[in-house]
Amino acid sequence: MNAPLSHRRDFLKTTSSGFGYLAFAALAHQQALRANPAAGPLMPKQPHFTPRAKHVIFLCMQGAPSHVDTFDYKPKLIADAGKSAPSVAGRYGTAKLMPPQWKFGQHGKSGLWMSELWPNLAKHADDLCMLNSMATDLPAHPQAFTQLHTGTTQFVRPSLGAWTLYGLGTQNQNLPGFVTINPPGNATRTFGSAFLPAIYQGTKVGGPTIPGLPAALGRRFGGGMDQATVANIKNSRFNTEAQRAQLDLVQSLNKSTMQQGGGVSAEVEGVIESYELAFRMQAEVPKVMDLTKETEATKALYGIGDGESDTFGKQCLMARKFVEAGVRFIEITHGNWDQHFGLKAGLERNCNQVDKPVAGLLADLKARGLLKDTLVIWGGEFGRTPHSQGDDGRDHNNKGFTMWMAGGGVKGGMNYGMTDDYGYEAVLNKMHIHDWHATVLALMGLDHERLTYRYAGRDFRLTDVYGTVVKEIMA
Amino acid sequence: MKTLTLSLLILSPAALLAADAVETAHAGIAPDQLQFFEKNIRPVLVEHCYKCHSSESEKVKGGLTLDTKQATLLGGESGHPGVTPGSIAQSSLYEAMTWKKEDMQMPPKQKLPDDVIANFKKWIEMGAPDPREQKVANAGGGKRVIDMDEGRKHWSFQKPVKHTPPEVKTPNWAKTEIDQFVLAGIEKAGLRPVRDADRPTLIRRIAFDLTGLPPTPDEVKAFVADQSPDAVKRVIDMYLDSERYGERWARHWLDVARYAESSGKEVNVLYPHAWRYRDYVIESFKKDKPYDQFLKEQIAGDLMKFDGKRDQAEKIVATGFLAIGSKGHNQRDKRQFAMDLVDEQIDAMSQSMLGLTLACARCHDHKFDPVTQRDYYALAGIFLSSETQFGTYSQLQNANPGTLIELDRDAQQVSALAKISTTEVATLKKRYADATQTAENIRDQVRGMSASERQSQGAQSFLRIRSSFDRADSMKADLDLFHEDGTPRTLAMGVLDRATPINSPILIRGDLKQPGDVTPRGLVEVLCAKGEPLNIGKGSGRLDLAYWIASRDNPLTARVMANRVWLKLMGSALVVTPDNFGTMGQKPTHPELLDYLAVSFMENGWSVKKLIREIMLSRAYQMGSTYDAANYAADPDNKLHWRMSQRRLDAEAIRDAMLSVAGAINFYPVDGSPVARAGEGREGIINLLREVNSKPQTYRSIYLPLIRDQIPEFLSVFDFPDASLVNGDRDTTNVPSQSLFLMNNAQVQALADGFALRVAKYEGDSQERLSYAYQLAFGREPTPQEKQAITNFWMRFPQEIAKNKNIPKDKIQGVALSAFCQGLLASAEFRYLN
Repeated sequence: MNAPLSHRRDFLKTTSSGFGYLAFAALAHQQALRANPAAGPLMPKQPHFTPRAKHVIFLCMQGAPSHVDTFDYKPKLIADAGKSAPSVAGRYGTAKLMPPQWKFGQHGKSGLWMSELWPNLAKHADDLCMLNSMATDLPAHPQAFTQLHTGTTQFVRPSLGAWTLYGLGTQNQNLPGFVTINPPGNATRTFGSAFLPAIYQGTKVGGPTIPGLPAALGRRFGGGMDQATVANIKNSRFNTEAQRAQLDLVQSLNKSTMQQGGGVSAEVEGVIESYELAFRMQAEVPKVMDLTKETEATKALYGIGDGESDTFGKQCLMARKFVEAGVRFIEITHGNWDQHFGLKAGLERNCNQVDKPVAGLLADLKARGLLKDTLVIWGGEFGRTPHSQGDDGRDHNNKGFTMWMAGGGVKGGMNYGMTDDYGYEAVLNKMHIHDWHATVLALMGLDHERLTYRYAGRDFRLTDVYGTVVKEIMA
Repeated sequence: MKTLTLSLLILSPAALLAADAVETAHAGIAPDQLQFFEKNIRPVLVEHCYKCHSSESEKVKGGLTLDTKQATLLGGESGHPGVTPGSIAQSSLYEAMTWKKEDMQMPPKQKLPDDVIANFKKWIEMGAPDPREQKVANAGGGKRVIDMDEGRKHWSFQKPVKHTPPEVKTPNWAKTEIDQFVLAGIEKAGLRPVRDADRPTLIRRIAFDLTGLPPTPDEVKAFVADQSPDAVKRVIDMYLDSERYGERWARHWLDVARYAESSGKEVNVLYPHAWRYRDYVIESFKKDKPYDQFLKEQIAGDLMKFDGKRDQAEKIVATGFLAIGSKGHNQRDKRQFAMDLVDEQIDAMSQSMLGLTLACARCHDHKFDPVTQRDYYALAGIFLSSETQFGTYSQLQNANPGTLIELDRDAQQVSALAKISTTEVATLKKRYADATQTAENIRDQVRGMSASERQSQGAQSFLRIRSSFDRADSMKADLDLFHEDGTPRTLAMGVLDRATPINSPILIRGDLKQPGDVTPRGLVEVLCAKGEPLNIGKGSGRLDLAYWIASRDNPLTARVMANRVWLKLMGSALVVTPDNFGTMGQKPTHPELLDYLAVSFMENGWSVKKLIREIMLSRAYQMGSTYDAANYAADPDNKLHWRMSQRRLDAEAIRDAMLSVAGAINFYPVDGSPVARAGEGREGIINLLREVNSKPQTYRSIYLPLIRDQIPEFLSVFDFPDASLVNGDRDTTNVPSQSLFLMNNAQVQALADGFALRVAKYEGDSQERLSYAYQLAFGREPTPQEKQAITNFWMRFPQEIAKNKNIPKDKIQGVALSAFCQGLLASAEFRYLN
């Protein structure tokens, strides 16, 4: 088998021209790719071992959702409500424990505990693998959000999606292999490729700065997915053949630039690759993103047309369509989970926005036979304190929180790990972000210790020198 | 230092946090006063107030707690101090007891007896002695966890010293002292610098770096022909003196000043007067204002000596730096809003000027740097003692409108608006009066409704009142822009000192409900020599702060700026975290070079132009960007500067270069900003988007309206930074969305048309026109290989486009020329600097 490319230059050497992509930049481009599947940095690659999942849908809840109000049931927190925070919390001083603000109940045959905020998702309890013992290094949003995506709190490193794409390639050469729907405006690191070739970066769909989304006139998530697309996806002037002739000119000039600069330029190479991908995306993206052909029943399943859940519903449906089309890694960001104040109204609103769409996504994937190949992940950068902040809020908690996975070779209806009696800190089977990364890669058939990239004289990994694969959750 | 006395008209009275004179809070309490408190005050508080206003209350009402001294002084969500020692006028607790205000009568059910109220008056007048100190562990006075002596050892907290440039082995390479530092690093790693850049490459680099625009074909020609040893120096000076230089370098500063023209966050209120600060920055760079002066003016321009009304006005505009940050205008708790505002100011100032993240110490001592919560609240006191004038009007979701500073009519400041006639003024007045009348009528009508009617309408009636008053307010906003005679008033964002300075309590975990010890206003301990006084004597302390930051004794200020300038010219910084020189930042790749640049920057009178010139005259700057396998293997990031880094142009330069090549660029924008003409409130944003989208914008990118989270697509697609955050180093991504933009976007197509028209009009044969197009776009001639590719294009494209039946036959050549020109604009070479 071919190990993942150990150096970004390697693929250039595989063609006689010394110029991998341009060799195919003719009208017969796609045929050439089909005839020679070894070419192109996005071509499917052999995993390290048999994968349990082929696609990832990461539902990223930015702002840090409260685990003790959603998926981490703590009877003692209810019993001791109003008491001073215990010594386990040390630094929290005089803060008072605040019980979960919603009732918990058991669901499915497995009897998984979930709060009443998730009436629809609860029906899928037996598919959910609760990771109750998550931990991350710092209780600060920018750093933790970066670590969630790249493993590090401070350096510029490739994101999880970029690593996955680098390791596995993607099945559809006409679409980006890594799509990020509605990413935060200031977090390019969450989908960046850092030192990996630029082609492994995530491609934005929608998001706050895309024209057609009237973000200034409403809230960021107040709608607009109907118009959301990849910006500038259509050329209004040229037929495809004419545009190809124009693009061939551009690529020839780029090739010339590269040669004049000494034959190697990561930047120019990135330009060349992104033009090729962009050209192919023009044909494919509109087809995939067209939700109008979906049945009313399907739309209803995702909560589309239901007010609160409409936007996220559309994004989830789009994610399913991307999976069907062969996209490797899809991330959807949902924001505003940072409830220092207004927990009751805020968390309820957020859950109303995502509960039905997520449940619909799981049901739809299952019905289409896609769930077994698709790893669905839900979670944020950390959790929240069991004690209150003010009357109606919770502070940051990086030492213990919950994420969950479903489908893609994980066991359903189980809890993995545990926090202490109140939900402060992971005390059993702690799962650090590094362990989580290692496990996600393992589910995709990649060994996190072998998925390396040589840069500045050193082999880099997503998990740096850490990470343990959690085999217990694998089906 | 003389502080100026201002005759400033304030648009409307501010009602913000005003916990005046808490400085006396620590005074010892005389026994008789203590007795008075215990006998007459505490029992009343316990019996009548604690039920709703203590930390033990089931539900604290109005955010007010009265069971500690600190919280009593601070007051509740209204933003008014609960008790101001010595002043019953500024004690909302007393006012509420007197039941004088219809909407604030406490205790709510039964007014307290007159003699009890009289006791409270007496108690406040005697200075509100109160023994109920907040008892919280480590509230500043507790044990210090951070060892300052240890903290001072961090490399960036020690003053830079000028090192002798190291000896180098390679003969005749180093031209300047900078080169010796750079070459020594290269040699030490066993590498060799690449060859110098050729002339066309070099002038393109210099032109973009200094003006953000490509050199004209004539400039390239003259430079290539100029064989004198001074050629490079002359061309650098030419561009440094250009009008365009100020616009280029101001934009770099605006990145770290998180400049934008709206509040961002949930409501995104427009800031129609923010552009004055932008123009101030452009002018400052153009005039090469000494950097220390530039910083001082931005922190405390209003308090500095001035020379005439114009100078005074400019210095006030400079303080706009503190007012333009993003704000959550819908915050209902005014104290919270005030503290968030101060936090944003500390964050922006410390990151941009000091390369420190001081705002991290808001809730606890800094996790990584030797900065305490005391440091933070000492600075917070300085900013709380100043009033930030950011304007905006009361609207449904704007719970925090503010005021603006009116500059003198004779200060010779430009205006975004034209004069209107007195008739128009009268019309505006009438519209405002009518709108107010309508709003009052609606209010009266709702008030006159029976309870059941009101019930049945629910929130509807409230919203009707609100929106009609909002409408009246936006009329008022329009009217307030003009003097009686119709000339526009000169309004600016900025800060002014309060009459009485205040000190801030340390807020435990940053929580307003947990005020701890009051901290005297002061400076950051770790950056002061041991034993040096930290506290502010008189006034807000902003002036002291300004002089302390913009000082040769401050170890960070010059270093941080020298590093920023190096980054912009060399493509990678010496400290790769330009906004963080703390322990979480990266150590410098060339510490001695950084110190050398910092010290010579200060020695040269903090002249940014001199610093730029010095770097540009080095051989390190003038190297080629050629690939070298051995060097690359050892140092792929070019940290050692063995070549010039290949750099992608930033968004503004890409757009401006396209406008320029298309012959469409307009160097004379209308004064002010489209935002200034859009109007206030919700309608403002709609008007603005309508104006911006309805016609092509052809002025330089720095003048485009910058609404937070609504950054123009041309800029955002090429990594324009988040305008709410300090950002000294932009991302340069390389993604298909950029390719799609360049291939398919209507703006790009229109610019390609303009470029094509220019080429078509050029007199000469097709070869000469091709040469002209190449000169415009790249500043060089096409290579034979490129000519071949171009020939191929001309053989293929017209044939293919002919299949498109919508394009008439006689238009095909024109379409093809535009497609060709677009190809040049879309190429990698157009947006990369070699």
